[in-house]
Amino acid sequence: MNINKAVITAAGSNQRNLPLQTLIDRDGTEKPVLAIIVEETLRAGVEEICVVVQPGDEKPYSEVAGEHAARLQFVHQSEPLGYGHAIYSARDFVSGDPFLHLVGDHLFISRHEKGCAQQVVEVAEAENCAVSAVQATRESLLPYFGTVGGQRIQGRPDLYRIETVIEKPSPTVAEQQLIVPGLRAGYYLCLYGIHVLTPGIFDILESLLATSNQPIGVTLSDASSELAKHEQYLALEKDDWRYDIGVKYGLMNAQLALSLSGSDRDEVLSNLLELLAQRELGAARKLDTN
Amino acid sequence: MSALIRIITATDPHIRDQSLDAFCRGASSQELLDECESLERFRTDSGNLYERVRALFFLYAIHRYHLPTKPGMAARALIPYEGYTNLLNRRFEEAIEIFQKTQREQGANDGISSALAESYHRLGFQILADQVRKSVRSVRGNQWMFRTGHTADQPLRIRPDLFKLQPGRLLFPILREATPVRMDLTHSGWSDIFFLGMDFPEAARVINISVDLSVRDPDGTAAPNLPRPPVEAYFRIIDKPVLRLVSVDLATSAEITTLAEIFDFAKDYLGLLKAAIISSGIVPPGMEGAEQPLSDLLGRLGRPGHGIELVSRVNGIPKGSRLAVSTNLLASLISVCMRATGQTHALTGELREDERRQVAARAILGEWLAGSGGGWQDSGGVWPGIKLIQGVVASESDPEFGISRGRLLPEHKILTDMAELTRQRLQDSLVLVHGGMAQDVGPVLEMVTEKYLLRSEAEWRGRRQAMELLNDVLKRLKSGDIKGIGSATQRNFEGPIQTIIPWASNLYTETLIQRVQSEFGEQFWGFWMLGGMSGGGMGFIFDPARKSEAQGRLQEIMSQTKRAFESAVPFAMEPVVYDFSVNERGSCASMVTGPDALMPAGYYPIVVPDLLRLEPRNLSATRRAELDRFSEATRTEPEMSGMVQTLFDHLLPHGEEGEGGAESIDDLLARLGFDRVEHEQVRSDLKNGRIGLAQNRLPVNSQIVDVEPNDVYDATGELPQRCYDDGMRALAAGELAVVSMAGGAGSRWTQGAGVVKALNPFCNLSGKHRSFIEAHLAKSRHTSRISGTFLPHVITTSYMTHEPIENYLKSEGNYGYEGPLILSPGRAVGLRLIPTARDLRFAWEELPQRILDDQAQKVQDSLRAALISWAETAGEATDYVDNLPRQCLHPVGHWYEIPNLLRNGVLARLLDDRPSLKYLMVHNIDTLGANVDPALLGWHINSEAALTTEVITRRIDDRGGGLARVDGNLRLIEGLALPREEVEFDLSYYNTSTTWIDIDRMLAVFGLGRSDLGDEIKLAESVRAVAARMPTYITLKDVKKRWGKGQEDIYPVIQFEKLWGDMTALPELSCRYIAVPRMRGQQLKDSAQLDGWLRDLSAAYLESLCDWA
Repeated sequence: MNINKAVITAAGSNQRNLPLQTLIDRDGTEKPVLAIIVEETLRAGVEEICVVVQPGDEKPYSEVAGEHAARLQFVHQSEPLGYGHAIYSARDFVSGDPFLHLVGDHLFISRHEKGCAQQVVEVAEAENCAVSAVQATRESLLPYFGTVGGQRIQGRPDLYRIETVIEKPSPTVAEQQLIVPGLRAGYYLCLYGIHVLTPGIFDILESLLATSNQPIGVTLSDASSELAKHEQYLALEKDDWRYDIGVKYGLMNAQLALSLSGSDRDEVLSNLLELLAQRELGAARKLDTN
Repeated sequence: MSALIRIITATDPHIRDQSLDAFCRGASSQELLDECESLERFRTDSGNLYERVRALFFLYAIHRYHLPTKPGMAARALIPYEGYTNLLNRRFEEAIEIFQKTQREQGANDGISSALAESYHRLGFQILADQVRKSVRSVRGNQWMFRTGHTADQPLRIRPDLFKLQPGRLLFPILREATPVRMDLTHSGWSDIFFLGMDFPEAARVINISVDLSVRDPDGTAAPNLPRPPVEAYFRIIDKPVLRLVSVDLATSAEITTLAEIFDFAKDYLGLLKAAIISSGIVPPGMEGAEQPLSDLLGRLGRPGHGIELVSRVNGIPKGSRLAVSTNLLASLISVCMRATGQTHALTGELREDERRQVAARAILGEWLAGSGGGWQDSGGVWPGIKLIQGVVASESDPEFGISRGRLLPEHKILTDMAELTRQRLQDSLVLVHGGMAQDVGPVLEMVTEKYLLRSEAEWRGRRQAMELLNDVLKRLKSGDIKGIGSATQRNFEGPIQTIIPWASNLYTETLIQRVQSEFGEQFWGFWMLGGMSGGGMGFIFDPARKSEAQGRLQEIMSQTKRAFESAVPFAMEPVVYDFSVNERGSCASMVTGPDALMPAGYYPIVVPDLLRLEPRNLSATRRAELDRFSEATRTEPEMSGMVQTLFDHLLPHGEEGEGGAESIDDLLARLGFDRVEHEQVRSDLKNGRIGLAQNRLPVNSQIVDVEPNDVYDATGELPQRCYDDGMRALAAGELAVVSMAGGAGSRWTQGAGVVKALNPFCNLSGKHRSFIEAHLAKSRHTSRISGTFLPHVITTSYMTHEPIENYLKSEGNYGYEGPLILSPGRAVGLRLIPTARDLRFAWEELPQRILDDQAQKVQDSLRAALISWAETAGEATDYVDNLPRQCLHPVGHWYEIPNLLRNGVLARLLDDRPSLKYLMVHNIDTLGANVDPALLGWHINSEAALTTEVITRRIDDRGGGLARVDGNLRLIEGLALPREEVEFDLSYYNTSTTWIDIDRMLAVFGLGRSDLGDEIKLAESVRAVAARMPTYITLKDVKKRWGKGQEDIYPVIQFEKLWGDMTALPELSCRYIAVPRMRGQQLKDSAQLDGWLRDLSAAYLESLCDWA
């Protein structure tokens, strides 16, 4: 399996401005989030990139993409019919090939030499099947993630065979259907936001979109769960960092994480310490004078 | 290898199912003791939970039923107090160790065996209950709730749909769950008990039908209501960060603002709603004790500043219906909460099979949390239609695997292969009723468990028959043969059910069946017992041609029969007949939105009065919108019609009228000659702390020791022939009369239900349910026939018992008693008082208390705190008048019952009629084995004492004083008067309350002779003089208050009494003590003792003393 195409989704109504935000990357240069995600994709050796956007968003996206603008293709999600529909919108772009998929509102920071997406792509190519990155996540965070249930593959401590995927399960459902042997009690494998999917996903999405009457539309989890019934589908457990920039303080946390794992680490650390010292010492002095 | 261990460990069912009784019958006491030693080792070594438990039950039964009957077992024993306190504190292993050490030191004896039996019994049930709890916690889908301890860990989120305000209306939508209740066609001999299903899953099978109900108008005049799901739960978001709980059926509500309040179950009537909030995971059980604000949790579940309102409603179905109303209400509440928090696939509609199972598992958890308990199939209403529920053998993926053979949760198989007409035919034939009785089924479940684990012969056979009957019912369901079903359920009731638990039936039920049978003949197809006992919810199956008529007649028959029995049998309510239909959907939810988003009509009279007292500007916008809509609905919606009047009634409560009012208590007191001056003195002394529970006790420096060797004559064996001859001569000469004391209320027998214990048809003896009085008269008849002279039999009564006993004896023709039968009416009456907090604390905190199982103890502590607060708010030591008048009064103790014989002229009349009369045998109504034994009478005559008191050696249950040397004087001492609890355990003998009296010697103590018996003034003075020398005890009694539809609350009240045993302290009264066999002396105080009483052959002993009319 060769993976040459990537689909980045950025059409969600709460999500569409996030890739346009600017951060200082690990190399100390100022970059829009979109650029950082595109570089993650390129690091994985995937060069044909499609961004799913709302109609009219391609212009600002092209503008912030800078040097990468030329390689980006834009696909419209014409109606807000959910996450599954956003991916389905890229069907023509993918055109029957396996593809890498990243969400546009997350940043991924690898602890290792290889990039996060790169690791997923390598496993998918080696195993010749769909792979989703997952992370062991405490059950109190289940309301935020799609969660997989499956079995560990012998001899591969980080690989699981996915049997089912449920979007934002209640802990009750998770405990009944998603317990994975080997994880600590109360922890589940939650989707990480990086997937290599096979083209079979589009047929599944098509049939789900035709029958769904859910208010949130069809989720990728619904489709992935079906995919696992039809073909081998693996989960790669990751210990890297992933930041949801769409939540409260998400962008700030992502920035701090980038800075602390990059070339400006010492400078940022000392700035932080100085800030803390000034605030705390200032408060202590104020107390003294009172 | 020990024979009994071989039975326990056998895999071959023929060996495994051998009865313990059969083995023990042929074994000597030494063989049994050797077996006990082996079983004791085995129970600690065995790795298998059910083998350990079975060994514990074997040990219990050997000590309780078999060793005491073996020749050579010593009777007299001292039970170590330390072991007893360990037992109270649930430290069973330590208790067993101490009792065994004593057994080694003293040798095996009756007293220590009783202590060991109790310890093994309770340890056995503790292990079983712990295992059920462990399984409930480890059910997949429940585990997370126990590890979620901080509000920030709450993983549930309320579905966004519930936050959608209706445009222009400001009303949050309401999620409404409607759930049927369940009725069991058969439970295969209570096979739904958790322990049994887990021990023998193959035998755990129940056929259970989900039904909708409506209560028929008793007069049959109002238009019939269509059956509907009897229980409903409502869930809604509110714009206030609190949990608002409202029970429409119990007319109560609360706004909860802290986590701690949710775990306080008995504080109010909202325990079931709290249990649902916890077991649905909204406030997971792991959060008990967490300190974070509830508003944080609610904010995390939904949105900051918002809360949840949960409302329960039962559509007119009374408590005790045997239809598992409360379990299904709990399940309904849990289901609505689970739907709202995304734990089901859909917000509305029917549940999926896996979700029903989850709701059932959570309901079991909820029942455990709230300290109640239900059967394993009780939440059957969650499922639709008619289903077979069966135990499942645990497989490797189950948490029970390797621990118990069966799984905690059964499997529900909806029976779809029935004849299409079966449901309709069942509806056309079955008359479903609530007979009005509400009994506690708890003890029955323990009895069944015990009998099955012991493989008691008759009961085990009964179980097998019950299993076969289930197959028969299944077959007939398939073919639509309702007549056959009627015959099968009747056979089930008459056969296996009563073989296993005779107490499942009662005289009331038997009378109903008999009357229906005689009236409807062949067209009455059979009786069907619902749930664990009869008397409450019951079914009668008729030829459809006569069903409608039967509904009307059953209402009349039940009401008439209830009226005839109501002084003898505890009824909680007026009997009712239901209309019903099979529910084909199970628990089902719908969303009520837009202008319809109002709570049920009964909700508004509970909450609106408080809202009306607030300034409108202080109401939130949604509350104002709701009130607007409500006010509109009162004009337009039929369900809300009449609401304005109802609201007025709630806003301006009016005084109660008629029977329940304070005025009628005053009337009653005036009529009964209530002594107001004495009452005020008691109240003032109680308030000032001069009297009280603590003040009942003798000074701590009193020397109280056990009897000396010659203090008690041992009459447990044969008495000399001379005694018998003397006794027979006296009987033939008409020298003796029997006095049965029946003035007391027998509070423990029915937990303060206020019925006359003496008339309670407590047991089926020689083919008929007999009352205590009938049994005593049958013994007198027997003795009279032997002696040739009929004994005069006196029954002492009180204000409470006189009229019912008189009427009952009249209607029963004195039970055919041929001799003189005289009632001796009591004269004294007291008015109960609300206890002081000081006395309640003394009783519950200072005196040794039996610690309950963890969760039940929490509930009890919470209840007691609530009762102390009730006493403080209602007014300590004020008159207790908030109940039926008769429940507010009390008899003033049995001391007065003997002097009453003097004062009311009964003794004078007796002596006039029979001048040869010299002696009285006085006994308590519950001492069933006490008869006129000629040899004992002879012994008493020869002793020349004024009193001969019968005592028995002590067993662990015999609490309440005994025979002692108090500061050197031999006398009976009441438990209330003992300065320290442990003293009682140094006393070998327990008072049976049976006394032989020499009339002339007793009169002398009163300063009287026979000739004085006509002198009322002298009699009154002499009785008062002796009364003044008798101590007055303050006692705490339970009294039931009934309200609503079959609801009962139990309140502690204070009353005072003087007790006959204190006469033995008078120095001028010569008194002898004689030890009698236990079967003669033991008293039946609590109906839970009945089964043991039957099994230890005490019932057979009683029958051997009786000549029934």
